[in-house]
Parts: sequence; structure tokens; C-alpha cells
Amino acid sequence: MTDSTLANSTPAEQTPPPRAVPVADWVTIDDLFRDPFPIYRRMREEAPVHWVPAVNRYMVTSYDACHTIENDQDVFSANEDGSLMKRAMGHSMLRKDDPEHMVDRQSYGTVLRPKAIKETWLRIFQQNSETYLARLKAAGPGADLVWDYAAPYAAENLRIIMGFHNASQEDMQRWSQTMINGTGNYADDPAVWAASEQSFREVDDAIDEMLPRLRANPDASLLSGLAAMPIPLEAIRANMKMTIGGGLNEPRDVLGVAVWALLDHPGQRDQVLADTSLFPRAFEEAVRWVAPIGMYPRQTTRDTVLEGVFLPKGARLGVVIGAANRDPAKFADPEAFDINREKVPHLAFGGGNHFCAGTWVARSSVADVALPQLFAQLPNLRLDPDNPAVDAGWVFRGMTALPVLWD
Amino acid sequence: MSTITFHHGDGAVDTLDVAPGTSVMRAAVSNGVRGIVGECGGQAMCATCHVYVRPGYLAVLPEIGDDEDEMLDCTADPRDPRRSRLGCQVTLGEGLDTLEVDVPGSQV
Repeated sequence: MTDSTLANSTPAEQTPPPRAVPVADWVTIDDLFRDPFPIYRRMREEAPVHWVPAVNRYMVTSYDACHTIENDQDVFSANEDGSLMKRAMGHSMLRKDDPEHMVDRQSYGTVLRPKAIKETWLRIFQQNSETYLARLKAAGPGADLVWDYAAPYAAENLRIIMGFHNASQEDMQRWSQTMINGTGNYADDPAVWAASEQSFREVDDAIDEMLPRLRANPDASLLSGLAAMPIPLEAIRANMKMTIGGGLNEPRDVLGVAVWALLDHPGQRDQVLADTSLFPRAFEEAVRWVAPIGMYPRQTTRDTVLEGVFLPKGARLGVVIGAANRDPAKFADPEAFDINREKVPHLAFGGGNHFCAGTWVARSSVADVALPQLFAQLPNLRLDPDNPAVDAGWVFRGMTALPVLWD
Repeated sequence: MSTITFHHGDGAVDTLDVAPGTSVMRAAVSNGVRGIVGECGGQAMCATCHVYVRPGYLAVLPEIGDDEDEMLDCTADPRDPRRSRLGCQVTLGEGLDTLEVDVPGSQV
């Protein structure tokens, strides 16, 4: 490089010796579940990485450290030992590194990409939104926007995209939640495993039934594309389960958070209603502010130093993008919901080779369809002062209750 | 080595010498060139490595593929029908030993 603007890195001889990783023994799972953000703030202020006994992992909370991990699979492997996700869903692409990951990733073809969305899925999102908006209206003011609209809407969209023509949106919701619960079953609760394993078998049976049907009558769905490819059945099964877990709760949760945030910030709500081209900005800010997937795992393949902190080989990490997305080193006034903030890339969709395959589906179904329809068809949409909204979670975070009123 | 020059909107210039086979996105991200994000790591999936290729180099670029084409319709700054490319889909070397691009004002 010849330009001085790039000469801002520290010369090697001035690099300070790595510091020992601090221990955050004050962190509890209950506190994280209720509201992780004050915890993340304290951790970020102390160090980019902590050992957290309650979580039994190193938690990485700075933006730069999370970004470094996402872009270096040689040191920070997705193929974690003892992964609960592998047990709950099988060994999907999300827990593989390249080149194995890329084979699975490419098997999804163009199904989730913008052209397919425009030509095939957008119309279906619009129909599904009408269907579940009618259900919400029938339930009447006081209905729950998440459970009477966002959840069935996201589930029905995903069901059709994936090609589960032999299942219902209720099946999709049950499969997603029970297998996600298995993925997070650190307490090793046998009842959680039993429900997760039941869904595991049901999904396998549904796939086995659909593959020959879709070979005979192909359509635009993911399963139809996979049915025509030389992909091992075990990989199809695991990737479909990962996609059920990763493609339903997340659009549901960003939709809930975006509505809640807009209703709780009337100035920004009015701004968006006056200029509906701002819905995508509201979506991006909602997904930054409360990342639906707040933490995901990686494991070191060798001794390494991350942002000045020493990590041994085999260290199990939690990449806390929920914290990275509120790093004041990257975002001004990071705890605030502000659709007018300076545009800075957030990490809510991950980055590098595992960048969310469903990013454009989420943007289209939530920002282009659901949000504008909700606000257009529910006049004076507002929070219910007698029944407060509830946000909860940390590995996955969203609205667990969102009662709303309208005129 | 191949040479790639990034022109920024404020007049600043970054020039990098990179090994043949390096993509414009990878060269920029590895060397901290501001204004090139590369969120998806080079899969033509995110449209955050958008560049405007300077006219003198257009004739020697590879064709725009289907994935790149649809993603160029999703860029934060407007697509230029001739000059817009994704940095991850343009690789230095093999007839492209030097390249000059303009960096858009926004990638997100």
C-alpha cells in the first residue's frame, strides 16, 4: 500500500503482551434472559472477551472481536465439539467450515435470493400477510401482534419456501421452538430433549414424504431444489432443521421488535408513516438494536490472541452479536432505537461465509410487506397501556407478548 | 503483483499492491480500505462491496453473472448501468493487472 491513510495499524514490536482473560462470575442466566444489555455494557467496558462460568463459555462482546471471528474460520471454527445444535438438529452447514460448508450452502441455489423473492415469494408474502392480518382483526383490539400475526405469518412463509406442503404453519412453529429449545438445553432437561427429538423425527418423516413428490412435480421450493441434487440425505435433513430453526423465530422476532420500537417512539413512528420508504431503515435499526440471534458459538483451533486477550486452543466461544451491535466504539448512543442514526454495518445477520442465507427473505417479508400492511390497515395502532409488552431472551431475543390496540 | 486504486468521494486515494487472484473486495477488507464492507465474505449475497469501475477498465472485466446482477439491484447507492460491480466478483490478474474504482458513498 502506498497511501498514508492506511498506515494506522500498530507495528508488531509495539504490540503489548496478551492479557489474561477476565472472569465475569457476576453474570447469571436469569439476568441475561431478562435484560442482557446492561450486562453487555459492563463487559464491553472491561474487556472484549470474558470467561463466564454461568454460561460455561468465553463471551465475546466487542464489535471488532466479533467481526474478526466471523472472518477467520481457520482459527475460529464453526464445527464445535459437543454442540447441542448438532444433537438437536443434526450436523448442518451452520456447524461446518469451508470447504464442507460451501457444498451445503451452494445446494440452496437461488431459492432465497432477491430474484426468486421478486418473482415467486413476494406475492406469497402478501397473501399470507392478508390472511393473518384478517385473523388479527378478527381477534380485535387487545390481540397479541406476535402470536396472532407475526408468528403464523413467518411460519407460513417459511413452510411454503421450504416446500413442506404436507405440514401446517402450526407444525412449523412447534418444530422450530422445540428444536431451538434443544439447541439451548444446557441444563440437559430430559423433557426438552424428548420434545426436540419428537420434532426431529417428524421433520425427517415430512422430508421423506416430500422428496419423491417434489421430484415428480418440481416447484420453486428449497426441498424441490434439493430433491434434484446429489446431496446426502443426512445433509438435507440437518440443513432443513437448521433452516426451520433459523428462518421462523427470527423474522417473527424482528417484526415484533420493530413494531414495539416504533409504537414506543411516536416521533419515529410518525416519520415512517409520513414516508413509508423508511420502513427498511426501521427494520435495519430494529435488527441492530435487538438482534434476534444474540449469540452463536465458535471454537478456537489453536492458541490465539483476540483483541489483546489470550485464548487457548479448544476454547468454546459465544460470539455475542447482541452486544457487538451496541458497541459505542462503532455506534453513537448505541442503546437508543434511532432510525436516523448514521448508517453503520451491523452484525445481526452474521458475517463472512455464514452470513445469513435468509437475509433477503427477512427484509422482504418484514420490511417490504408486513410492516407497511400492519400500519396501513390498523388505524392508530398503539400499545395497550393496561397490558404491557414483554421483551425477553438473550441467545434468542424478541417479544414474548405484544398486546396492541387500534381504532 | 497487481495494483488496484480506490478513489474516495472526498478525493482521498488508496493504492494497493496485491497478489494475482485477489478479489477487489478481499484486497480492500484485508487492508482496511474504508467504504468497502464485504459482509458475506464474497458469496455475492450482500451487496456491500459495491464499486464503480473507472471507464478505462470496463472492456477487460469479466461478464456480470446472474447472482452479481440481481445483487447489484440491491446496492445502497444507485447502480450505474455500466460501471457498477461487486468487488467480490472482480479478481485481479489474468489480463487485469491494474484497476481503478470509485468507492460509493454508502454500502448499507
